[in-house]
Amino acid sequence: MTDRQGGAKRVVLVVDDDSAIRRVVRTVLEADNFDVVEAADGPAALLLLDAINGRGPEAVVLDIMMPGIDGIEVCRRIDHDRVKVVMLSARDDADTRDRAAKAGADAYLTKPFSAIELLDAVEKLTP
Amino acid sequence: MTEPDVLSNLGISTPASLEQQLDRFALDVGELYGRQKERAEQLEQNLVQMRTTFLETVRSMAYVVEAKDAYTGQHLERCRVYGNTLMQALGVAGDYPDAEYGFLLHDVGKVGVPERILNKPGPLTAAEWRVMRTHPIIGYQILQGIPFMTTAASIVRCHHEMWDGAGYPEGLSGEQIPLPARVFQVVDAFDAMTTDRPYRASLGVERAAEEIQRMAGTQFDPEVCRIFGDLVDTLPQRL
Repeated sequence: MTDRQGGAKRVVLVVDDDSAIRRVVRTVLEADNFDVVEAADGPAALLLLDAINGRGPEAVVLDIMMPGIDGIEVCRRIDHDRVKVVMLSARDDADTRDRAAKAGADAYLTKPFSAIELLDAVEKLTP
Repeated sequence: MTEPDVLSNLGISTPASLEQQLDRFALDVGELYGRQKERAEQLEQNLVQMRTTFLETVRSMAYVVEAKDAYTGQHLERCRVYGNTLMQALGVAGDYPDAEYGFLLHDVGKVGVPERILNKPGPLTAAEWRVMRTHPIIGYQILQGIPFMTTAASIVRCHHEMWDGAGYPEGLSGEQIPLPARVFQVVDAFDAMTTDRPYRASLGVERAAEEIQRMAGTQFDPEVCRIFGDLVDTLPQRL
């Protein structure tokens, strides 16, 4: 629960086609002093990542099952040196976890998600 | 397609999934509450420990100053206990949390008075008295820079002032003298009178209590004396 000393707020991009999930993730992250931007699908997320290239976000909270480009594909296209990825999915099977890991995901959480685990994961990935 | 499938394909949570999420957050709240409580208890323990350590440090400082005087052995501790009791009875203990440090350190300024004056067997000359009477100011200067010792510093500075203005170093009178210092004057005098000294025996509690009341309004704050009179019998005599 710490703000980075002297620096700007850390930015997290939340990608989910479910607006209720985006809203609760935003609320949880903002309570811990993160700045949150949202995208409702894969293409919008990739556009945003390009648009704000180099100025964050430092992490993406990423749903998997989305129409169009799914979360696994979005994850694969992310520059993992710069941006950390927390998968947040209703799917809890080994195959999906494996595909997420291969796509470069740094953490994998399942829905319904624990706010504590989400914050712990994002904090750890954006020191 | 079932209704939940339709909803989720539209990117809308189903009532069931929202309910599950709510349950999960409720668990989080319980977990956080538990962690917070544990942390608060830990901090409370640390605080108690720190207060004890700090009090012991102050006590050591006070003993160093008076190490050469056999009488002071338990005098400082009795002044602290009596002083705290009287502050509580006056209902002001919470307003002056560092008063007890002042009770212990009242003579700390004596480190600045030459030993030949402090321990002179005969009466002091006028010049020696002038030096002796600087010890409240010296003590005040030692403590004044410590932010949480402001009350303690004021006790040290004013412990030889008198209600009627006849004291030193500044000849303050009445409520110009900080209340904790007025409290200290009473308990210090009471303890001196109820302790055997090389040159005289203890007056006994009853006589000492009478003396305190006799000096109410001249040497001491009459209100402080009144409250002290009510509790004098409850004070522990030997610590």
